[in-house]
Amino acid sequence: MKFSEAKGHKVVAQNTAETVGRVRSFLVDPRSRSVVALRLKKTDQGDVLRWRDLAAFGADAVTISDSAAITDLDSELETMRGKRGRLLKKRVLTSGGDELGEVSDIEFDPETGKLITILLHEGTSVPADRLVGVGSYAVVVHEA
Amino acid sequence: MRLMRTSDISQRPVVTYAGEDVAQIKDLVYAADGGSIIGFTLAGRGLFAGPLKVGLSWASVAALGSDAVMIADEDAFASTKEVLDRSPGAGTHGNVIGSQVLTEDGVGLGTVHDVVVSVDGTGGGQCDVVGYEIVASEQMSTQGEKVLIPLPDTIAASGQHLMVPASVKDFVGHDLAGFGAAIDQFRAQLRSTES
Repeated sequence: MKFSEAKGHKVVAQNTAETVGRVRSFLVDPRSRSVVALRLKKTDQGDVLRWRDLAAFGADAVTISDSAAITDLDSELETMRGKRGRLLKKRVLTSGGDELGEVSDIEFDPETGKLITILLHEGTSVPADRLVGVGSYAVVVHEA
Repeated sequence: MRLMRTSDISQRPVVTYAGEDVAQIKDLVYAADGGSIIGFTLAGRGLFAGPLKVGLSWASVAALGSDAVMIADEDAFASTKEVLDRSPGAGTHGNVIGSQVLTEDGVGLGTVHDVVVSVDGTGGGQCDVVGYEIVASEQMSTQGEKVLIPLPDTIAASGQHLMVPASVKDFVGHDLAGFGAAIDQFRAQLRSTES
């Protein structure tokens, strides 16, 4: 699934069958190369949903067992949020110092949250296992 | 091996593997003999940022690419003094821009407009000065144009003049793409005449 497709997904609690929020963005840990949490909008409390607290990331909705799983940012997730942690629209540099382009979308595995492919506006793509770091200036990937 | 103009290197951002632009290149520090780049002085990022007290020695550079100078992290920085001390006599004065290039038989080929270095893509290698871009004098058929001339491993430089073998004229290049081959041929020719 792509970030662009997953964004806006409803988050539904299994115990009440109610929509408790919508997916706004993704917090990515460059070390594990995976989505570790979702930022939500339109929630009653908190706006962070950790990947480990998901029941499923389905084609039409994200399900959680209980809306209590929605929490706030902690210091670990804080480093992955905002301009600094964002991948979309950021320039991609190789570890050799060459610019490849700009991130247009990310493909990830909805089962595990693992990133699969970094897609670029230039029409090219980089396998996500080459991801080295994500910072305020660039997404750094290993040279091919 | 990749060739670059040094004018393109200054102001290039210094980026960590974590994706942060922590500085930008201010000046290149040349070895005392002018034959290689041993490091960089740095400036802060942004329009109004001034020079930094730290520099970067070539050994701490992970890669020099077309768009960024990559470092593992900010531990790569050293005090500017340390960077300069790595090679006695080194300095940013290795600046030869504007010097006249004279052949050993006394013909002025032109004045230096830019310096061309070769970079080993894999890191660990040297950053060698391999050529100059000169504004050709009336002694060249391309007078007034910018052309590339290859350099031997070592050259005599005085701040006014740079002495090059006369055969340089036979290996003039017009763009960086084909210039690597010209350098190799020129240096091979020098070696064969020496032996």
